[in-house]
Amino acid sequence: MSTRAQALAEAAQPIHPPPTSFWRQYVFSIDHKVIAKQFLWAGLLFLLLGGTLAMLIRWQWAFPYRPVPVLGQLFLRDNGGVIGPATYQQIFTTHGLIMIFFAVTPVLIGCFGNFLIPLMIGARDMAFPKLNMYSFWTFLLSQLLVLGSFLADLGSAGAGWTTYPPLSTNVGTPGLGQTLVVAAIFVTGVSSTMGAINYVTTVIRMRAPGMGYMRLPLTMWGLWLTAILNALFVPVLGSAALLLLLDRNFGTQFFVAGASAVRGGGDPILFQHLFWIFGHPEVYILILPAWGILGDVIPFFARKPHHWYKGTVWAMVIVTVLSAMVYGHHMFMTGMSPLLGEGFMLFTLLISAPSMLIVLNWVMTLWRASIRFDTPMLFALATVFVFGVGGLTGLFLADISMDLYLHDTMFVVGHFHFTMAAASFIAAMTGVYFWFPKIFGKKLDERLGKAHFWFTFIGITLVFAGQLVAGYAGQQRRLFDPFQYTFIQGLRGLNRWTSFFAFALFAGQFIFVWNFFKTLFGKTVRAGENPWQVTTLEWTATGSPPPFHNFDRIPEVVRGPHEFSNPEVRRLTGRDFAGQSEVLPGSGEPALAAARG
Amino acid sequence: MLGTNLERSPAADLPASDVPELRRYRLRRSEDEITSYVGMIIFLGSWAMMFAALFFAYAVVRLRAPMWPPPDQPALPILIPGLNTVVIAGSSAAVAVAVRAHALGRQPRAAIGLGLGAAFGALFLALQAVVWVGLWRAGLLPTGGPYASVFYALTAFHALHVVVGLVALGALAIRAQPPRGTTRSAVRLWGMFWHFVGVVWVALYVAVYLL
Repeated sequence: MSTRAQALAEAAQPIHPPPTSFWRQYVFSIDHKVIAKQFLWAGLLFLLLGGTLAMLIRWQWAFPYRPVPVLGQLFLRDNGGVIGPATYQQIFTTHGLIMIFFAVTPVLIGCFGNFLIPLMIGARDMAFPKLNMYSFWTFLLSQLLVLGSFLADLGSAGAGWTTYPPLSTNVGTPGLGQTLVVAAIFVTGVSSTMGAINYVTTVIRMRAPGMGYMRLPLTMWGLWLTAILNALFVPVLGSAALLLLLDRNFGTQFFVAGASAVRGGGDPILFQHLFWIFGHPEVYILILPAWGILGDVIPFFARKPHHWYKGTVWAMVIVTVLSAMVYGHHMFMTGMSPLLGEGFMLFTLLISAPSMLIVLNWVMTLWRASIRFDTPMLFALATVFVFGVGGLTGLFLADISMDLYLHDTMFVVGHFHFTMAAASFIAAMTGVYFWFPKIFGKKLDERLGKAHFWFTFIGITLVFAGQLVAGYAGQQRRLFDPFQYTFIQGLRGLNRWTSFFAFALFAGQFIFVWNFFKTLFGKTVRAGENPWQVTTLEWTATGSPPPFHNFDRIPEVVRGPHEFSNPEVRRLTGRDFAGQSEVLPGSGEPALAAARG
Repeated sequence: MLGTNLERSPAADLPASDVPELRRYRLRRSEDEITSYVGMIIFLGSWAMMFAALFFAYAVVRLRAPMWPPPDQPALPILIPGLNTVVIAGSSAAVAVAVRAHALGRQPRAAIGLGLGAAFGALFLALQAVVWVGLWRAGLLPTGGPYASVFYALTAFHALHVVVGLVALGALAIRAQPPRGTTRSAVRLWGMFWHFVGVVWVALYVAVYLL
């Protein structure tokens, strides 16, 4: 039985035969599921690289001037294994850039966006499959540019992930490395823009019949709003990178000022404006998919419908709009007009209201629920906690008078790691554990997953809490040797302990690596179509992993994404959940007609 | 790029006639075409943000400058770029005619329109080159401070878009001729891109040359 709407959707998206050649199947694939896996591999590899760089920073703060074990012998042999000041600059710069643009973005947006959008809205592929492929290969090019920068004469970029001029100009950081990294930012921006155009169009145009906006799984809302932010604001970063490249290579003077400039020169603060017009939405670009994933995983494992679904949707929309109006809070210390600063402070504090509404809705979803503590749920609950801490510490920084004291301290570092690093990373892990059976057809080992969880959750909390405390005590961020300052010398023990926790956190990640490869290549039973017993289309309307064309028949959606513990469903099916496109037995046609209104 | 996987509209093959209903029927868009237009609109909106950021940078730099142009640097010409505005408007009009002709199935006419659009685009670049050479000879180099930076960066970045559009229009003009044919979407989407480049030029002319 196929409805008229389904027939139209089928006609618009006919089934194409899968490609047969190796190259078309695995390398230059236009299949969104294969591209998602490519993004996942690329992202996880760079996550490991970014994590290793973080360990080097922590080593420096725990044991400055002492040779780094193992890695020092491999990469710093010229310097006897010791991290020198210039190397240190490059390490923290590339750590930030790699984690944000080349690790978390590809996993959260590249992998989950690509994999989930067509499957969750009931489409056979993205709106523009070829554009999707170009997006990945452009992204890979940007990663290669970053790797190449390490081979440059004076090393890689060293001007901080924010690449503020004048430090990032030829005067502050000469050499090809910085240029290559700025070019990589531009190229990855092009890739993000291509992906964003695809995601936005796909959600607007390709939803299965019956999949109204208010029936979209929250993951879709998160990824869609993220894509809108990406489409609007990544080009602003692109223009900043472009102008910086012109300044570095063609002698223009947009950001060069002072003694090295002729005729007054440009304005270094201009770069900060352009950077943060993009940079603040970027924070939400990374957290909105995380919120979306939580918005689905929490009700799935609480076996309850999401509390006030529409409230969460509108809160996410409001956050998206407000995120474009708060960037000035990064620039309170640039001599900004106090009146303007107060405006930015007001909007920044306002943005916490919808954010807290989202968190409250998660908590209300958990309230009196029969929770299943599977690994994805543990990671989801941890995300709620670390995001709560990150959000609350953000209030201090939003306040101008507090920010005067806390600006550029480790408190800022702790804050944004709790939100962007901890929350986004743990939410990404939630997604990996949750969708792994759908992506690869097998379930990750639960026992190893839980071990990984405790290392990650406790490790991340202690590391970034240590940074918050150090910052509150006055330790400035990015210092090569913080203990040259007398007033920071008392924090040596704290820094060392924070580093020990960081090493434990890093070591714990290898449990995940082991689990990942063991499940992927070992003898593990197939997970089955719907191992978590949940409701959305990718679990209830197709197999694991889905075939090339995703759905044998494009589903017709008849209900919202979180149909759990409905007594009527239990009476008719004996289950506590009903798929989004499931026609209940014994009620078939009437239920379908009623759902259509 | 966006339009390559789209089918040519079957309505375009119907016999020519001036019946208004038939004309409307032929111009009707398929679902795939609408999807590609939505994608193109999102892309252009996104790319407009890039130009908006460049104009913002220009505004900030100019507001900080004590004098604009600096007393020892040449003022920008108004006449040739003004002529260029007319050229690019004519080019856009030719492309608009081509898009409509192509949608109605009049391939030869569409090919002429596209070719004319590309030719006007080439003329635009030639005139722009005249402006660049003139200013360069008058001593305005990209390294000559913020005034020169803004002028060269904005015009060069725009000219790069003209080059991309020019190549695409030329290729389409060749491909649109009867034996081969091209998709309606390809013509329409590149037409949209070309109009976008034209609109950016008008903003650039007013902001950089006139103000």
